[in-house]
Amino acid sequence: MTSRPRDGGLPGAVAAEWTKLWSLRSTWWTLAGAFALCGLMTSILATDTVHDNTNELTQDDPGVLVTSDLVVAAIDIVQFVVLGLAILTITGEYATGSIRTTLQAVPPRGRVLAAKAAVVTAVVFPLGVLLGLTGTAVASVLMGEWGRTTLAQTLGDSLAIGAYLALISVFMLGVGALLRSTAATLTLSFLLLMALPMLLTNAGVPLVRHVGDALPSAAGRYFMNGEDSPYAPAAGLAILVAWAVAATVAARTSMRRRDA
Amino acid sequence: MIELRELTKRYGDKTAVHDLTLTVEPGKITGFLGPNGAGKSTTMRMILGLDRPTSGTALIDGRPYAAFPHPLREVGALLDAKALHPGRSARAHLVALARSNGIPTARVDEALETVGLAAVARRRAGTFSLGMGQRLGIAGALLGDPRVLLFDEPVNGLDPDGVLWVRRLMRTLAAEGRTVFVSSHLMSEMELTADRLVVIGKGRLIADAPVAEVIARSSRNAVRLRSPRADLLPPHLPDADIRRTGPDTLTISGVPIERLGMLCHELGVPVLELSPQAASLEEAYMELTGGSVEYGVRGKADAR
Repeated sequence: MTSRPRDGGLPGAVAAEWTKLWSLRSTWWTLAGAFALCGLMTSILATDTVHDNTNELTQDDPGVLVTSDLVVAAIDIVQFVVLGLAILTITGEYATGSIRTTLQAVPPRGRVLAAKAAVVTAVVFPLGVLLGLTGTAVASVLMGEWGRTTLAQTLGDSLAIGAYLALISVFMLGVGALLRSTAATLTLSFLLLMALPMLLTNAGVPLVRHVGDALPSAAGRYFMNGEDSPYAPAAGLAILVAWAVAATVAARTSMRRRDA
Repeated sequence: MIELRELTKRYGDKTAVHDLTLTVEPGKITGFLGPNGAGKSTTMRMILGLDRPTSGTALIDGRPYAAFPHPLREVGALLDAKALHPGRSARAHLVALARSNGIPTARVDEALETVGLAAVARRRAGTFSLGMGQRLGIAGALLGDPRVLLFDEPVNGLDPDGVLWVRRLMRTLAAEGRTVFVSSHLMSEMELTADRLVVIGKGRLIADAPVAEVIARSSRNAVRLRSPRADLLPPHLPDADIRRTGPDTLTISGVPIERLGMLCHELGVPVLELSPQAASLEEAYMELTGGSVEYGVRGKADAR
């Protein structure tokens, strides 16, 4: 913390959001929760893999798996803890009324959103990478001979997890600014990231499946885990970026028009 | 200086603020009075760019609020003491505000000292009493050493010491040449604090004048006449508003006291008492807003 006057503007707004995020206990609990849940999920998936490979049934043997792929699968669930953190940075302010204080200090709505998105990215990206690395470590220990761990694969997957979580967090941050309610935003995130993809990707009509493939969660999965994907991982990343940008732009328009 | 020009806010077909044009000048305390629902808070939120006016403009020193690169250094505002995150410490709340506007964090400790919260700076704001919350809100308003200050019901929840402190603080701020715009529903408080009054009711401007003038203009400024033969007077005062306030006492408004004295002399009415009754600001205010109470029993204002 410096005692020199600084310029305010976007750097000031980012510094303010950073201070606000880390001065709440919920942030620390969420981080702890993300690691705990990630450890739990990868443990379950890892022990399942070992069990399926070693039981009497031979039809269900998955064989030797890439350990970091298990972490990618675990992120399907773990992401909701991380999203809670991102969503609360905006809906928490609407719930407490502190959004009015925020907008008094930083009137440009776009700047507030940009600052929040920057802070969420700065926290969630390294968080995602660390979740990938620790999850892989847990999985490789539990899977033993049934897990294949290479440094390149682990690093690549961990970076991809970080990027996915950062982008999906920015996306949901924008949705949170549109809906202004924590409960509504979390509910929508479950629908959009879990229920809807399951519904659409199993659909018989190709068009419906294509729509399902374009959802942010599907794009994220194809980006993190390229197997059986209808498009390249880079395209998945591009789709994710498009969702995040679209939500942020919509949020800015809404915040400019609506009363705080 | 705060300038409102034809400021209007509608919610659907309900008009919260109607065509409000006024100037709040520096160097004095301008009281913003009105019954609940009169549109005071809405007006303040529009000045701060939180609510979008349906039409009209609100300018601070000639610019809209959002045009200031460091708004907290220009305008300090306490709107709602509860508009902060209850899980954050008082100090962290202010540090975040300071950093957003490039204000040295040393100012945070100064502001906490000023409002008397230095000892509880690291306590979570959610544990604060309403009065402490008000003090924290005032610390936030003072943080950027702004030239313009807006306070919405600042003495709400303060103990008598706190009320006195806020009154002195506002006096000091105005004496330093700052613009102080303070809303209140406490007329007695405004009578003691404000130099000028802006009164609104149902979103419309009712009065905009110095406090003394608002009181003087009130028709409640009356003369009390006590005389065993008081009944002789009314036929000679067709324009006056005369009320019987005692067995031999009349309260007469609309007639100068000098004329009453002369009249009594001419009619040979013995005068036991002839005294001016200055209306309190509260009475003047009730009279002004009597017809504009948004949430109230009709006619309640007349039922005194």
